[in-house]
Amino acid sequence: MNGMMIFKVALRALLRNKVRSILTALGIIVGIAAVIAVVAIGEGASTSMKAQISSMGDNMLIVFGGSMKKGGVHGGSGGFQTLMSEDGEAMSRDYPELIKAYTPLVRSGGQAIYQENNWATQIQGVTPTFVAVRKWDVASGVFFTDADLRAGARVCVVGQTIVDSLFNGQDPIGETFRVRNIPFKVLGVLSKKGTTSMGQDQDDIIIMPLTTVKRVLRRGSFNNVDQLLFSIYDMGQMAEAKRAMSDLLRQRHRLGPTVEDDFTIIDMTEISDMLTSVSSMMTILMAVVASISLLVGGIGIMNIMLVSVTERTREIGLRMAIGAAPVAILLQFLTEAAVLSTLGGVLGILLGVGGAYTVGDLNKWPIYVTPISVVISFGFSAFVGIFFGFYPALRASRLNPIDCLRYE
Amino acid sequence: MGQEDVWALNGVTLQVKKGEFVAIMGHSGSGKSTLLNVLGCLDVPTSGRYILDGTPVAGMNRAALARVRNQKIGFVFQSFNLLSRTTARENVELPMLYNPTAPRGKALHDRAEYLLEHVGLGDRMLHTPGQLSGGQQQRVAIARALMNNPPLLLADEPTGNLDSHASQEIMHYFRKLNEQGQTIVMVTHETDIAAYAKRKIVMRDGKVLP
Ligand SMILES: Nc1ncnc2c1ncn2[C@@H]1O[C@H](COP(=O)(O)OP(=O)(O)O)[C@@H](O)[C@H]1O
Ligand SMILES: [Mg+2]
Repeated sequence: MNGMMIFKVALRALLRNKVRSILTALGIIVGIAAVIAVVAIGEGASTSMKAQISSMGDNMLIVFGGSMKKGGVHGGSGGFQTLMSEDGEAMSRDYPELIKAYTPLVRSGGQAIYQENNWATQIQGVTPTFVAVRKWDVASGVFFTDADLRAGARVCVVGQTIVDSLFNGQDPIGETFRVRNIPFKVLGVLSKKGTTSMGQDQDDIIIMPLTTVKRVLRRGSFNNVDQLLFSIYDMGQMAEAKRAMSDLLRQRHRLGPTVEDDFTIIDMTEISDMLTSVSSMMTILMAVVASISLLVGGIGIMNIMLVSVTERTREIGLRMAIGAAPVAILLQFLTEAAVLSTLGGVLGILLGVGGAYTVGDLNKWPIYVTPISVVISFGFSAFVGIFFGFYPALRASRLNPIDCLRYE
Repeated sequence: MGQEDVWALNGVTLQVKKGEFVAIMGHSGSGKSTLLNVLGCLDVPTSGRYILDGTPVAGMNRAALARVRNQKIGFVFQSFNLLSRTTARENVELPMLYNPTAPRGKALHDRAEYLLEHVGLGDRMLHTPGQLSGGQQQRVAIARALMNNPPLLLADEPTGNLDSHASQEIMHYFRKLNEQGQTIVMVTHETDIAAYAKRKIVMRDGKVLP
């Protein structure tokens, strides 16, 4: 019997018992579908996460006040009044070969009022270099200037969500709104950034000159800032920049050798790595779960093949009597198991891809079906069939034809 | 292990010449089927020799025996042993699937259809065993046994499951085949069936009676 023939005979045997074949393959179908769907959803999430992180800024280093070790960073707001804008300026001055751009950042918030609308949002005070540090420019209008910064002018640029919510989607440039009864004029609208994977709307923001936020909104309490944002020239300089920054800040803050840092430096690539490792851990976890279901599916196939061998004892005897060699019987049952599990695998792949896109559509999740996951699933399902089909097939091939023909 | 040895066959010496039609008779348990299984290379004698079509069969492994069965033997069983839910034509084609030198595709179908017409089932090619009477099923089985054109046709109580009319038909067909030169060895315990054969052998307790 040549390969094509064996395949045909196996397929015919499976088609003779359609319902049972499908039920047998169900374990494989579900297992493969789960792997494909989970990997597609996981890869989609991590791909979009990476895109978001790189959209946050250009090789960005963020310095928060307070130590990560001491109960975490409280969103970098208030709490630790140790970071000065001058710290960042000193860094830029001392390491021009590392620092491409720098802006200090202070955070505030409030109720913005425009005509009959009012909208609670976050307000950040920065310098015009913000545009370079965060790779975030205005889509229309202009960003405020150094002159605005020096003057503490009551001007701002706003995110897209502010346009939609506060200005009913109308062009806000040149309009004036109020926060705590203080009027601010809109100079420009920032390009749209979208929602982070943590569900934070990045466009729900008002950006003002640092001086304006400090003097007008925060009433100038202290001279500290909440964050220092740096853009580093090259990815490869991250570690060096972090070390230099740490040394410089410790020196400027006069921290003795035994004193802990009063700041935390976060490298965006680090966050990206962390998220990637979390998502790949999830993927591994799901792969383990899926493997277990494939194992169960494989045992199901073995079980059904053993039943099938017993049920078809007379058929085996007949085939041997008319000239089927033991190896032909072995190959027949092995092929049946392999065809069954491979077809199960193909159905599972289709079901998994369909399922992933359906779930993705419903939840607006990005979906990415990796070709490698399809190839591995296909190969694995064939392997499961051959592995678990081997023992029943071997048993069939070792049967004695006379006993088989006498079998009732 | 506490089991008694049974001499299903003991000191059997038998020669069947080309073109013969032999009926093996005897009571139930006398060793007829066992002898036929040895002749058909399904069973191997504990000791002794068997020469089939000029080739000694002793000492062959399972694969070699399968090849001999495929090419030199055609089997007809009491209970037909057709594959269920499989058409008559596919059933007839089966032995050729295990014959590496046999034709494939259209030539295979042609041969099966020729044989089915020959046994009078030209209009039943695509029927499955469930749609055929006992006599028709046995005729499909005979067509299957002839598929590889074997020098020896073996039948173990081929009419055992058939009514007398169908039995007559099958035996007429056997005789016709024999007249065309087919060597046949058939087991039966019915005298009127054995009457179709040219030569009769009677067995008792694993021995051939003189
Ligand atoms: N597998 C077996 N194990 C033990 N004894 C067997 C086996 N097969 C056949 N026999 C015995 O061999 C003898 C001949 O059996 P068999 O050839 O089937 O007789 P027949 O076909 O003439 O009725 C019987 O006594 C039977 O019980
Ligand atoms: Mg018998």
